Amino acid sequence: MGTSYTTPTNPDWGREPIERTEIVWITIAFAWCLFMFAWMIGWHWMGHQNMRNEAYRTTPAAYAEKLAIQQAKYTVRMDVATGEPVVAPPPGSDVYIAGMQWQWRPILELQKGKSYRVHISSLDVDHGFSLQPVNINFQAYPGYEQVVTMTPNKAGTYAILCGEYCGGTNTMGHQTMLGRIYVKE
Amino acid sequence: MSEPTSKKTFKPTVLQRVLDDNSLLLFLCITVPTVFYILWGIMEVLSIPLHK
Repeated sequence: MGTSYTTPTNPDWGREPIERTEIVWITIAFAWCLFMFAWMIGWHWMGHQNMRNEAYRTTPAAYAEKLAIQQAKYTVRMDVATGEPVVAPPPGSDVYIAGMQWQWRPILELQKGKSYRVHISSLDVDHGFSLQPVNINFQAYPGYEQVVTMTPNKAGTYAILCGEYCGGTNTMGHQTMLGRIYVKE
Repeated sequence: MSEPTSKKTFKPTVLQRVLDDNSLLLFLCITVPTVFYILWGIMEVLSIPLHK
């Protein structure tokens, strides 16, 4: 039979029968592959973290303009904790959030049980939108906006971390890049 | 363990002919990932619509 790294001793090796243990191993490995693949689809339908999204091309300048329009129309107050403007768009509307070195803007205030089309993009480099503690993750690319329809089902304060290293120093940078979303009853 | 075949000629199976041909294997290893990953990926990225 030879070894795996030398020419087979039997020139008609294509007709050698496969040993039973090898067939069992191949069957188990293939069945496990199908099981894991099926769960990729399963978690999309049954889970709350692997959602479909739309994607559009944009530019940082165009996206920044949408942020400015949203802020001018829907700012409700200045956040006591951070001093940042809090934006409360109406339910069912398009909501814009952007990553930039090194913060997430704006702070959104959403209503529980209402759906929003959340647009995610970046104004400079790649960032990772990571909503915690629900652990919903999307890449935020400059030049692309990802749109996810989200319906908050629990009131509270949610943190946005950055899941893609984006530079900085030890006092301000990727690791200090925290945003927040408030969900009201 | 099977005996080596006699000096009679035989026709290898299709699978054996593919797996014994190193040039074909090299070609497939380069073109299949290139088509399914790179070309498909580029086509998908280029077809992302412009924002509204």
